[in-house]
Amino acid sequence: MAAIYLGEFEYAVLLATLHLDQEGYAVPIRELIEARTGRPVARGALYTALDRLEGKGCLRSRMGDSTDERGGKARRYFTVTASGLKAIRATHGALASMARGLETILERS
Amino acid sequence: MTTAPSRLAERVLAFVVRDPEWRDGVIGDLREEHAKLVGRIGVDGARRWHRRQGLAVAFRYGAHRLLRRGTPPRRWFAAVAHESDGSMAAGLTRDVLYAWRSVTQRPALSAVIVMTLALALAANSTTYSLMDAIVLRPYRFPDVDRLLIVVSHPANEVQRLLDRDSVARGDYRDWQGESKTVRQWAAYEWWDANLSGVDIPEQVPGFRVTPGFFSTLGVTPALGREFLDEEAQPGRHRRVVLSHTLWTRRFAADPGIVGSSIRLDGEPYEVVGVAPEGFQVPLGAEAWAPIAYDAAQWQDHGSTTDLSVIGRLAGGATLEGARAEIAAVVDGQRRDHPDTNANRAATVVSFTAGMADPGAGPLMAVWQVAAGLLLLIACANIANLLMARGTERSQEYAVRLALGASRSRLFGQTLIEGLMLSALACGASIPLAVAGLGMSRRAIPESVIRFIPGFEFIQFDVRLLALTALLGTTATLIFAMVPALQAMRSDVSESLRQSGRTQTPARGRRRLRSVLATSQVALALALLFGSGLVLTAADRFTNGVLGFDKHNVLVAQLVLPERAYAAAETRRRFITRVTDGVSQIPAVTGSGITSHIPYGPANQMRRFWPEGQDLREDEARLVNFRRSSAGYFGVMRIPLVAGRQFDDRDRPGSTPVAMVSASLARQYWPGQDPIGRRFKLSLDGGWVTVTGVTGDVIHNWFTQQRDHTVYLPFTQDAPFAVAFTLRTVGDPDALAGDLRRAVAAADPDQPIASLTTLEDLVEDRVGGFSFIANALGVVAIIALALALMGIYSLMSYLTSQRTQEIGVRMALGAGRWQVVRLTTGHAVKITVAGTLIGGVLSLGLGRVMQSVMFGLVSTSILQLIAIVAVLATAALLAAYLPARRAARLDPTTALREH
Repeated sequence: MAAIYLGEFEYAVLLATLHLDQEGYAVPIRELIEARTGRPVARGALYTALDRLEGKGCLRSRMGDSTDERGGKARRYFTVTASGLKAIRATHGALASMARGLETILERS
Repeated sequence: MTTAPSRLAERVLAFVVRDPEWRDGVIGDLREEHAKLVGRIGVDGARRWHRRQGLAVAFRYGAHRLLRRGTPPRRWFAAVAHESDGSMAAGLTRDVLYAWRSVTQRPALSAVIVMTLALALAANSTTYSLMDAIVLRPYRFPDVDRLLIVVSHPANEVQRLLDRDSVARGDYRDWQGESKTVRQWAAYEWWDANLSGVDIPEQVPGFRVTPGFFSTLGVTPALGREFLDEEAQPGRHRRVVLSHTLWTRRFAADPGIVGSSIRLDGEPYEVVGVAPEGFQVPLGAEAWAPIAYDAAQWQDHGSTTDLSVIGRLAGGATLEGARAEIAAVVDGQRRDHPDTNANRAATVVSFTAGMADPGAGPLMAVWQVAAGLLLLIACANIANLLMARGTERSQEYAVRLALGASRSRLFGQTLIEGLMLSALACGASIPLAVAGLGMSRRAIPESVIRFIPGFEFIQFDVRLLALTALLGTTATLIFAMVPALQAMRSDVSESLRQSGRTQTPARGRRRLRSVLATSQVALALALLFGSGLVLTAADRFTNGVLGFDKHNVLVAQLVLPERAYAAAETRRRFITRVTDGVSQIPAVTGSGITSHIPYGPANQMRRFWPEGQDLREDEARLVNFRRSSAGYFGVMRIPLVAGRQFDDRDRPGSTPVAMVSASLARQYWPGQDPIGRRFKLSLDGGWVTVTGVTGDVIHNWFTQQRDHTVYLPFTQDAPFAVAFTLRTVGDPDALAGDLRRAVAAADPDQPIASLTTLEDLVEDRVGGFSFIANALGVVAIIALALALMGIYSLMSYLTSQRTQEIGVRMALGAGRWQVVRLTTGHAVKITVAGTLIGGVLSLGLGRVMQSVMFGLVSTSILQLIAIVAVLATAALLAAYLPARRAARLDPTTALREH
């Protein structure tokens, strides 16, 4: 199976989900991306990305328990699948190989 | 105060996110974040945040799901629907789906737009249906446009109302003999037939008609035949054609009725036919009998001018041709019969125009114009709302343009959105229109309906549906064009640069919205003023100065049959027996009779020759003519101005006396004592002496004139048509049974044509007018509400756009009132401009209405000022509310907003 190529935003979403291990759902995923990249993330864009990644088989979701602060609505937790991991590795590898030799420029500022 | 998040946003989300697990996840996430925000930025701020985010997520997620297939991977921020190529049909389907989403995305806004448009459409279709039924096509038999009506009138008098029963028999015969443009002629005259020999005697509205009456109208009887030529002769004329309603009501729709005999006016009449269902010409007719005059009577050009004449045009002939031809014949008659015809002219009109209710046309036209104005106001309002929405969406447009959408595509899509709104509105307007028509039907009293041709055609039909759809589409083109153009002109780089920051609306756009709001105010003012005029008039007709006291009076109208009551003495005895009978009733404080009750269905006029003025036949003026009892004036509380009442001295054979109305006395004997003066009511008649002068009475609500009136005592010559009047203590309706018994005691065969209180009689008479006046009032109120909504939404919008500026000003020390002044200044300008333009419009409208409505209404500057004051106050209030909200803002919140 050919490697799945990830868009920049999709890559960020998968990495954030990986960071959060089993506890990743839309709210902390978004907060994490914003905190680490310093760029605002539109909620609508995040949901569509999550949906698309699940459709590509990079993410798997499960419903959690409902809580009061959520008005009785359950959380939808995401975990990265094996093919998701493969896609991350492929993208990371590609980007890393593109960056190789540029370390002096990239890490200066 | 509740801390709940925006329900609107959650509903939209629940609608857009179809997958239940996703739905819970998304809605729950937003609630979780909302709950955190409540503590940080307060309840209101958190709810606003939630609404904004919820709707944004719904939009992006919805677009994503809908267009998932074929969508390339997203770039960092462009999670917006991409324009894809495809067939026309697929593109259209996509546009429609997109439009539907855009409509449902803002349910409150869409509902307001749809209801506004639906109301305006319903007002228009209701009015048009009434107009079509009553004015445009009240009669729907074959080739009705080939029929005409000819009336006679004095050549030197302007005809305000068409007097149909006005033709002399000799004149009719001349026209019939000499005309070539008219293929077939028919004439008819009134005949109130008393139906007896059945359980309850009844007065049947009937007409005596010339043979060929039915075939001229293009109608054949449902049963039997119409009259033969030889039946139009005295002695052989006792034949009758029954209306379908009379046949079913009184004769149980007996199919074998033709050939049997019924009793009319105490004589046997052979039933020769039954008219087809729904045929009622002249209006209200329930029986037709042959007209019976001998050859000499048909030559009479003289004073008996009470035929109504209809004709059917010959093939190829036109109404204009008939007009010219009849005019020539009339010229000949002037030469041939100088004694009678010297001052006589004829007018030819189409059947539909001639038969229409004289007041209905202009009134309905005014109503239709009002409904049209309402639609315009609604369009202005909707355009205004859509423009506000378009400004909100300018980013969306810009992104789509940036992604390669063509401008024409955006234009088309905005139009499709508009069409979708108007399709919804058309659907919503149908039940409204049906309800409106139902209300119209119920609002007009039975007694008036009888005199409204075409009333049975008032209904909601396919034609009306098509008209509504057409109007809706036209309206859409008007109101959706503006935002569509706005979409097309979106400036990509400008809109994108503004992303996330307060958008200052383009100057031109703001000006356009102000113009729309101003025109709404102006149109609403004109509508309010116009409907106010008609309402005031309706009130004046029912509650104004009538010249008599309509309260606590019971009225019974009947017509005595000619044969049984041929002698005046028998009529007088009948009247006296009934009045004596009712005087015994304890609750009756007075009783009297008259031949023609004010506001009643009929009138009688005579020419008036005062002694000492040598007037020719056609120079003498017409005056209202009544035969009354002395008690009548007391019951009606018509004051005695001078002289004496009728009394026992006025008997058959004693000096003929009369009472005259004050206006008549002033006209003929100005500055002199009218008592003892004499006059004649026909050239060869005897002198009548004035014994008393009474107050003036308005007989015809429509003309509202204090007509000159002559009253003769019934004791000297009793009338056939009698209205008994009783003044009662308490509810007059309670005495109806007693009055019936008194009539039955005097003559068991005598039916009462109408038994009602005088108050109901007056109100019913004006009922149709009052209804339209009230309907106009409702239209005007809706228009006012729409105009206020327009100002309110514009002001809310402009204020919200300036929230940051307001925050800065307040942080720098501006007071609340300064903020209010700042934000309402614009509304003041709109209101002032709107009322100025509206004032001019109103005065113009008032002039037009005055002239088309026969001076029924009169413009009043005072009324205009009052309406302007109300409108201006309401408009400023509508502008103040958003301003106050702005002034209450916490400066820090204001600065953080957006």
